[in-house]
Amino acid sequence: MIRAIIIDDERLARNELKKLLLDFPEIEVIAEAANAAEGVERIDSLNPDLIFLDIQMPGKTGFDMLSELERAPNVIFTTAYDEYALKAFEVNALDYLLKPVEPKRLADALQKLQLEEDKEPISDHPISVNRSILNEHDQVFVKDGERCWFVKLSDIRLFESVGNYAKVYFGTNKPLILKSLNALEERLDEKVFFRANRKHIVNLRLIEKIEPYFNGGLLLEMKGGEKIEVSRRQTVKFKEMMSL
Amino acid sequence: MPKNVSKYYWLCQVGGWGCIAIFIIVADTTLLKSKAPINLMYIFTAMYVIPGLLSTHLFREVIRRSGWLQMPVEKALPKFLIGILLTCTGCGLIRIGAFDALGLVHTRNIPDFFAELMASTSEYGITIIPWTLIYYFYHYIENSRKQQLDTLKLEALVKELELKTIKAHINPHFIFNALNSIRALIDENPARARKAVTELSNILRSSMQAEKLETVTFEKELNIVKDYLALEYIRFEERLQVEYEIDEDTLDQPIPPMMLQTLVENAIKHGISRQVDGGKVKIVSDFRDHYHELLIVNTGALNGNRNIDGFGLSSTKNRLQILFGQKANFDIREVDGNTVQARVLIPVDGSK
Repeated sequence: MIRAIIIDDERLARNELKKLLLDFPEIEVIAEAANAAEGVERIDSLNPDLIFLDIQMPGKTGFDMLSELERAPNVIFTTAYDEYALKAFEVNALDYLLKPVEPKRLADALQKLQLEEDKEPISDHPISVNRSILNEHDQVFVKDGERCWFVKLSDIRLFESVGNYAKVYFGTNKPLILKSLNALEERLDEKVFFRANRKHIVNLRLIEKIEPYFNGGLLLEMKGGEKIEVSRRQTVKFKEMMSL
Repeated sequence: MPKNVSKYYWLCQVGGWGCIAIFIIVADTTLLKSKAPINLMYIFTAMYVIPGLLSTHLFREVIRRSGWLQMPVEKALPKFLIGILLTCTGCGLIRIGAFDALGLVHTRNIPDFFAELMASTSEYGITIIPWTLIYYFYHYIENSRKQQLDTLKLEALVKELELKTIKAHINPHFIFNALNSIRALIDENPARARKAVTELSNILRSSMQAEKLETVTFEKELNIVKDYLALEYIRFEERLQVEYEIDEDTLDQPIPPMMLQTLVENAIKHGISRQVDGGKVKIVSDFRDHYHELLIVNTGALNGNRNIDGFGLSSTKNRLQILFGQKANFDIREVDGNTVQARVLIPVDGSK
């Protein structure tokens, strides 16, 4: 059973979608929300497997809402017609449905979702243990200007502090998110993400090379070619962790 | 074009200097009754005309290469003066040198040389100053004519484009949302769904007709807007309140098609749809001091929103002025903290 929330500011649009979803018994609509604020609240309290998200909403857009979430659930966007949003989709091939929704497209989107779930069942990592710590299988939604991405934490090799922002390195992209490195460190799994120095958090699984450096420190070369210095104090910790 | 211009230039150049040559010969033989041998007179004439022709051609190259014609007059004038002086002096020097080489006149001592140079230079001034004036003014007139033509062409193009694009403008976002709402209504409220289909057809039909018309009556446009708002009410439900304050006498007034519609659409898009609790749209139509005044008042704020200067609104004023003259006006402002008012003023016939 997939537990879903519908977020759309129009009652009729929510009803229409619910009606369409009656044909898919594996989807259970557990709640609805009429704006971004309600959406965040429902997602936090109900922890759904899937959300249907309208982009144009009063107050905040669907994209804004997603970038506020600590961890992004599976999302299927719904939009009437919006050049700005469509551009974001084209760039990143996020899954989206155009309203009025074609039942066939809905079926395709849900099937795609099911396939991904089969690869990594959600139940694999018990949600109840500690919800405030992000698992490496969790995905985050990153929005930088017009571009947006869903990124698995396991694909992120590096966080770099830039003022109040953090630069997120994955693939060939490095967008900025409005989160401090300290806040990130608290939420990230310390077995995977390591604070190398004041400015960097690295993904231990995506290190290419480790070399000794001045003052008994270390120099890490990431898979993307970035060279990160490990401060002397952190080097001790790093060696402890790696020797385990 | 450049080939043609250069042909024309050479025709003038050769023709002009040829005339001067003929004039000198004729004047020398008939008026002054010069007794100099005829072939010597030809040499004298050639010694004037050939340096003149060559040096003015060189002068033209300099003018063209350094773009003096494109400069403002006050900047170009000193350059032209110096240019003329140098050209004339150059010609004078060539002539003196040529005479000397041919053994006709020797000006070997310095006072004689300077006297001869001064004389030669001023003689050339008589032809080269007019040459420069003709050259300059020809291009001056040509340039300003071309500029005028370009400006006119551009203005016409802009007007045409603006009218076309504004008229064709109906938000696809609205159409698809309306269709989605209607689909949901088909089960929930079939009667309302049928009415909604009629309303949507009206809007689509009038937006297509708008391409062909310059103006429509306010009544016709208002009916479209009423249909539009009825459809938006289906979407927004209790979040949208609508109020009309229409002076019946204004119903016959002409207005540009789809203009009120665009403004109301903006009021919904930038006003109501951004308010979590919704708001109100009010349409007022009235006469005020020889003007037909239309007000579109909605809940919302401008807060420096860049969309306000965007295409729809900034071109509304242009469109009004193209159709109704400079007296027509459009503005948009925040009335109090949470209300935006767009105002259209169209002069009533007879007061234009």
